[in-house]
This record gives sequence, structure tokens and C-alpha cells, in this order.
Amino acid sequence: MVNKKIKAKILRFDSDKDKESYFQEYEVEVDRPVTIHELLTMIRKDIDGTLAFRTYKCYKGMCQTCVVKLDGKTVKSCATQVPPNSEITLEPAGGGEVIRDLVVDFKAM
Amino acid sequence: MEVQRLSTDVVVIGGGGAACRAAIEVAQKGLNCILVDKGRPGRSGSTPCALWSIQAPFGSKGRDERDTPEQFFADMVNAGHFIGDQNIVEVVAFDACDRILDMERYGVHFKKEDDGRFYQTPMPGQTYPRSCFMIENGQHMSTVLAKEVSRHSNIKVFKDFFAYWLLKNKDSVIGLVGIDMINGKIIAINAKSTIVATGGYTSLWGFSDNPPTLTGDGNSMAFRVGADLVDLEFNQYYGTDLIWPPSVRGTVVLYELMIDEFADGEITDKDGVPVINKPLPIRDEAIKTIFNVIKEGRGTPHGGVYFDTTKSPKGEEAVRDVFKSMTPKHYQFLIDAAGIDLAKEPLEVAPASHYQCGGIFINEKGQTTVDGLYACGEAAGNFQGANRLAGSALCDTQTTGAAAGNWASKDSKSRELIPIDEKDLNEAIDMVRMITAPKTKKIKPLVVKTEILETMDKYVAPFRDEKGMKKGRFIIEDLKSQLKNLYAPDINKYNLEVSEAIEAKLMIDSAEYIFDSALFRTESRGHHNRTDYPQEDNKNWRCHTVIKNKNGTPQYSKKDVIYTRMKPQD
Repeated sequence: MVNKKIKAKILRFDSDKDKESYFQEYEVEVDRPVTIHELLTMIRKDIDGTLAFRTYKCYKGMCQTCVVKLDGKTVKSCATQVPPNSEITLEPAGGGEVIRDLVVDFKAM
Repeated sequence: MEVQRLSTDVVVIGGGGAACRAAIEVAQKGLNCILVDKGRPGRSGSTPCALWSIQAPFGSKGRDERDTPEQFFADMVNAGHFIGDQNIVEVVAFDACDRILDMERYGVHFKKEDDGRFYQTPMPGQTYPRSCFMIENGQHMSTVLAKEVSRHSNIKVFKDFFAYWLLKNKDSVIGLVGIDMINGKIIAINAKSTIVATGGYTSLWGFSDNPPTLTGDGNSMAFRVGADLVDLEFNQYYGTDLIWPPSVRGTVVLYELMIDEFADGEITDKDGVPVINKPLPIRDEAIKTIFNVIKEGRGTPHGGVYFDTTKSPKGEEAVRDVFKSMTPKHYQFLIDAAGIDLAKEPLEVAPASHYQCGGIFINEKGQTTVDGLYACGEAAGNFQGANRLAGSALCDTQTTGAAAGNWASKDSKSRELIPIDEKDLNEAIDMVRMITAPKTKKIKPLVVKTEILETMDKYVAPFRDEKGMKKGRFIIEDLKSQLKNLYAPDINKYNLEVSEAIEAKLMIDSAEYIFDSALFRTESRGHHNRTDYPQEDNKNWRCHTVIKNKNGTPQYSKKDVIYTRMKPQD
């Protein structure tokens, strides 16, 4: 039986260590559609704890803290599902300065 | 390790409703304030997760002219099973209306009737409908309060700031130490008064409807400096949070909307048999019923009950209208994140960890048992009692928040700044240094955190017994011995693993106090249900469980409840 998975290329950057940003690829086994927020949580838990993203959840898609660029388009990671056997690209969104990886310094309230 | 030092009159820990309101009060009194928020101002903590309901007894200026602050007071005392300290309930019940009017002035929108009266909805436990309606819910309230904070030039806000240590000099709390998550710097803030408004401990449990950041930091920090904690065994569960599918796990669906006035739906077992009667019971009764249904094997495939609007006599369109007008964001979120239209299909829901009824012991001024330390909002402990009413959490953020801000300001005006004890500061720095220090045995902080969450879910959920709790307690003790092996790589910017390691340490302490409080109280009351002591025992237990710090060791004892205008009948 072939295990279904999602391949996620995530833009990483730590200005203390990296000259420029780079994509790191993660493969996550899933058997159902998952939201991007779920996917990032799984990556941190089982694969790479150093990946930085804002873990905050408002449970109703309102706070805009979880925004991320999915294949170039800004979406809410909590309210956007990705099916198994997808290949996606994730980059920081939100218009503020990138602190690290997917975490941006939101200037606006 | 580089430490930045700041000083101010009052420092407030938190960023939600209570913290913002306290900071606004301090600023209005003309003092300098620093507010340190674990996340983004206006988008952190539990306040943004709240729905519309915030109680205030407006009487003839609201829905029912018979409602009064005295009635609100009585409803709160009864809902709390008579163990809320009434000196503080007075503050909540009698200041509520003024604090709502403050919120309106800041820019919060409340639904009004055509003649200008406050629109108020009925909620279980309220003698008269008393819940004012914030159209755009707790998120709107949070954003408005954060904006109001930003209008005051004498409030300096640090966002993404993880406060983890209260500083003490001899017998007084004199500030705090935290990590600026944006750049990894350690910052020590020296203050004349410190207000803890860190919210609750609800995310110590795995199944929670609160953000993962609510790890009860304030409880542990306050205990370490000698503040009494109280009633930690009373964790309010909310009865109907989504348990399936995983993408929306923890999202609230309001059982209060199942009444005839709204959706007229039913909470049912796996076969569609209604399990909750109308008029709807208050929260502790509702969760008891739901838990029993699940325990008896009548639960849904994923361990819950059904939230079923499909059988409503009102029909699908009318039901959809109810949810679109009362909880539009939740309704849309279920569609976006899970493809579910709740007007078309039953939802699997179960009780989830929702609100910390106990916490840090305070008086009506918000003063804890340690000089220089105040607490307000959910972090403060002794007024909700064993259960709280819908709409009283948001109300208590504004009432107790303003009170703490007021009295902390008065206090700060008449005192000198006490300097930092360098030995204390060094201990705080060491706590972080030890996490990134090289070690032979390395344990990932998230692994320990996850195990704490699972242990709490399994052994100190609303239904608990001595055997189970002792097992859970033993697991916590074992995890405690592993804390020294927590390791995180040394990254300056937004180091989640370091913050998780600190959280794990604070959570282990909190978990210990929760288990031991629940073991101490040998009766059932409100949200503390002992299957081995199933009766409410007013003769022996109509009192607080208090935890005192005796040279670092927690000691558990009973403490009398303060009555003002309502004494128990017997």
C-alpha cells in the first residue's frame, strides 16, 4: 500500500545564520485533507522542531495571525485544506518584516 | 547573556481583555505602564476566541427592567455553588454596566434595540436575559481594547514577549523577567506594582477550545514568589466543542443556541435521542450529562455527542440564519476549514477544557497575598467559585481588570521603586541558559508538553477519582525529574523550542497543583466531579481549597468563603 503524503517546500530564513532565504522540503504522511496549520504543527512535532511559525489559534478564522503564502497566494493556514498527494510551497505572508521562517513582525493591529 | 533593563510604575502581564483594561486604568491615572503580551496585541490569549456574550445588569436600559446588579450577584453566587468570594463578586456585578459603557466609548459595537436599549440574550443561569451582544465577538473586543491601549503614550507595549519569572526583593514583587521572542533578548522590568493578567490554564489539557498559549503561566509564576493559589480543581469544561474532524477540533458550537428562541435543535446520542432537556442547564450540569452519555457507550464514533440542528422544526434556512446572525465567523470557518454546513448535518461535539474558575487568590482590590503583586481576569481565582455563568468571563476581565489597575496605581503613587535583587535575576537567566546548554541526554520540550496534555486529559478531566489522579500525579512527578534534560538549539529569533521548554516547566508545576487540589477536595461540586465522592458536601466542603507556599513546598488547606450580602440558607 502506498502511503499518501504531502510534500511541502517551506521558505526558511534566520538572518543571524543565513545569507539568504532557502526552501526546505518536508514530507508528511497524511491519509486525509489537513489544514496548513495542522500540517505545520505535524512538521514541528514529528520532523523539525526548529521550524518557526505562529502557533496561535483563534478557532474561527478571524485573527489573521496564521496567514501564509500558499503557492504564492496569501491564505489563512487554519482555514485552508490541502489534500493528500499534494505538493505545495509555503512562504511568509502578512506584510511585515520576516522574523524567522514563516513568522513575521505584524506592524498593524 | 545580554539583559536589557527597564523600569516603570506598573507592569501588566498579558494582552487580553483584563490586561488591556488594567493598563488603560493605570494610564488614565497618569502613571507609566509597560504591558507585555505573549503574542500580538489584540490577537492573543482567549479574549479573541470569545463569542458575543458579556453580562451586565442594565435592567430597563436592557432587556428586562426587573434585572439588577443584586440579581446578577445572586446568579453568580448560585452558579459558583456558593464558594465564590462575594467581596469580589460585588465588584463584578456592580461595576459591570459602567465597564460596558467604557467599552462602548472605546469603540466596541453592541447590538441595540430600536429604542436604544441594549439587546440582551438569555443564557442558562441568568434569572433575566443579561448577555449583551457584541456583533463581531471577542476578536472585535480585543482589537478595540488594544487600539485604546495604543492611544495612551504612557503605555509601552512589548509584543511577542514571554514573561516567565516574577522578580522579588525580600517580601515584595518588584517586576518580572521575560524573553523578547523577536530577537531572543532577556529583558528585566523593574516596577512598583506588577499585575498578572495571564489568563487561564486551560491548554494544559489536550482537548481545549483555548489557544495553545494558555498554559497557566501566571499561576506558576505567582506561586513561586509566595502568592496563595485557590480552587485549581475547578476547570470549567464547555459542553459542545467540535471533536471531529481534526481541522476544526476545539471550535465552539453554542449549545445555548439550541433553545426555541434560536435554532430549536437538539444535543443527541449516537441514535439521535435528545440528551439535554430544555430549559438548558448551566454548564456544569450540561457536561455531566454529556459525559454520562459517552460513558454509557451512547457516544458518537469519535467520542462525542451530536449537535443536531437538522431536526429543528424551523427548517434549514431559518437555522442557517440563526447561526449566520449570531456566530457568523464560526459558521463560515466550519465551511472553510472542514467543508461542513452545520445547518445541513449533525456535528460531533464533546466537552473541552474551557475556563479556569480558580487561580491566584485576590481581594476586591486585586491584591494577591504578596506585596506588590496584583491579579485580574481569568488568572485571578476566588470569585467564580465552582462554575461560572456564560458571559461572566468577559465581564470579569473589565471589572477586575479596572479594579486592579486602579488600586495598583494608587499603591504605586505612594511607593518608591525597589531595586532588582541580582541573585534573583541571575536565577531567571540561568533557567533559559540551561535549556540551550550542551547536555548528553536531550529531551525535546514538545514531547514533554504533549505528555502533560495527554496526562491531564486522561486523569484529571471533569470526572476523576483518587486511583486515576494518583497515576497521573506520578507521571507528572516523573516528567518533573526530566526537566533538566530539556534541550533546544540556540536560536535567537522566535525560538519556539526554548519557549516550549519554559512552558513545560511552568506547566509541570501547575499540573502538580491541579492534581493535588483535586485529590484534596473529597466531594463533588460544579466542575470538580469525583466519581469516588459523588455528592456535594456542604457541611465539610463549602469552602476554598487554598495552596500556600511554605519554603517552596505547596501546602493544601481549606479556607472560608467571604460572604457579603448572601449567606447560605443552611
